[in-house]
Amino acid sequence: MKGFWAIYKRELFALFVTPLAWVLITAFLVVQGIHFAILVTQFAGPADLTEGGPIAAFFGKTMLLYLPLLFVCPLLTMRLFAEERRSGTIEALLTAPVGTPGVVLAKYGAALTTFVVMWAPTVLYILLLARTGDVDWHAVGASYLGIFGLGAGYLALGTMSSAMTESQLTAAMLSAMMLLTIFTVGLGEFAFEDGPARAICAYISPWGQMGDFSAGIVDLRRLVLDATLVVVPLFTTVRTVDAWRWG
Amino acid sequence: MIEVSHLSKSYGVFQGGRGQGGAQKAVDDISFRVEKGEIVGFLGPNGAGKSTTLRILAGFLGASAGRVRIAGHDIAEEPQKARAQIGYMPELSPLYPEMRAGEYLLFRAELKLIPRARRRAAVALALAQARIEDVEQVMIGHLSKGYRQRVGLADALLGSPPLLILDEPTAGLDPNQIREVRGLIRALGRDHTVFLSTHILPEVEATCGRALVIARGRLVAEGSIEALRARRRAPSARVVARGDHAAIVAAATNLAGVKRASAELLPGGGVALTVDFADDADGAAVTEDLVAALVGAGVGVREVVASGASLEQVFAELTQGEDSGPAAGEARA
Repeated sequence: MKGFWAIYKRELFALFVTPLAWVLITAFLVVQGIHFAILVTQFAGPADLTEGGPIAAFFGKTMLLYLPLLFVCPLLTMRLFAEERRSGTIEALLTAPVGTPGVVLAKYGAALTTFVVMWAPTVLYILLLARTGDVDWHAVGASYLGIFGLGAGYLALGTMSSAMTESQLTAAMLSAMMLLTIFTVGLGEFAFEDGPARAICAYISPWGQMGDFSAGIVDLRRLVLDATLVVVPLFTTVRTVDAWRWG
Repeated sequence: MIEVSHLSKSYGVFQGGRGQGGAQKAVDDISFRVEKGEIVGFLGPNGAGKSTTLRILAGFLGASAGRVRIAGHDIAEEPQKARAQIGYMPELSPLYPEMRAGEYLLFRAELKLIPRARRRAAVALALAQARIEDVEQVMIGHLSKGYRQRVGLADALLGSPPLLILDEPTAGLDPNQIREVRGLIRALGRDHTVFLSTHILPEVEATCGRALVIARGRLVAEGSIEALRARRRAPSARVVARGDHAAIVAAATNLAGVKRASAELLPGGGVALTVDFADDADGAAVTEDLVAALVGAGVGVREVVASGASLEQVFAELTQGEDSGPAAGEARA
């Protein structure tokens, strides 16, 4: 794991010294702000609480949660490898005495850290809610865990896409397509009759994951799926990086 | 310091000799050694396989076949130990434009496992050696080509690795900067082993003690600069004369020791005569005879230039000879 910290710090530096991270975080927070405002307005009137309160709604009942995720994650990861290959800096990076796993994990870790930073301000919304009513902190914790699990997988897929091409645009499109595919297949939960097809779709559905987690149900099977979506793409990334060097 | 044996590299999927028409070999079975303390030039035209070879030595690319040992460490078996011995400057020295030169070098120092306590000192030393202390706080994206090249050089020098591998260190520099960098490389040669690639001959003559010449992926010559010069072809002379074209050619061709003579009319009215001497001829004596013969034929001799074999000619002969097969894969540098 030599070189992890040096590369991790440089990646964060590169994300935050260029406008990319700031633009993404700002856009994301604007959307989530609107999202929260809409929900608060709705729950301020006579609302039906049988399907869960504002927290359950915020973390899983509307498209405004998923849409930004599907587009922010590819944009956050697109440059990780593609940019370095296009500019040639990857050559200096990989001829330093560092191992490929260290490079991949450092770059992924920086993207994941940015993702966490991006979500951090939304805790303020929960604190606002806590001033006016009771908040189920267990459900809040579970919701953030669910979001973290989803994001971790999405960013790993994005990291893999970035290693597969020299073009940032192609990398972003590739990972956005993968994420949309996962999301769409997940919607099969509502399309199929009861049976294996519906069970599979429900299992991989991000909508289903957030539905459970926002209700405070931490389902280990979902976390296993998320972990798989982290490990497999990152392993593939390491192999891909080695393949362009040794192929 | 460097031991390369039977190194080959082919790009593409169909490698390893499976089937016909497989991948073009960018590097084809080359072997050489570089001893500690040498400055060795790796010379060849663009697309000959220089950069590919250097990338393999530096551990960026894997070889298709063959072994590379750096300071006794096999690059495939102990890649990190081998790479720790090397300061590598890639072609065009690509850098992160958003970092300041000093920040970049600190990052590189950490990456090269220089202990935290010594990092600042190592960066300061590299900045001083590359003579770029004045741009330490400047963003790399704002630096001129020459400065960027030297930031890349400072990066290679970080931590004083015993072996420096420099890919075209003077490419894109102006003549003053080229002179400076060459001086720097000579100075570095006192403490480091230096292996540098170039397609410019004077570079090798100015900095290196020994040269390897590569063409189309194969080593075509190896030796000291003097030894390479000794492989020159027979010299020739160029004469500018005034007079009848046919008479001039006839006078030159009939002379003993002349292999071939050709003449062309100059715009100003004179005739430019190029005379190739026979392989065993004494160039100086033939030149005297030539001038005498021309004057005897009533021709006015205005200018005589003895074109002794330069390293340029040797280079041209070595790298352009044996024109077998199409020169595919030229783009692969």
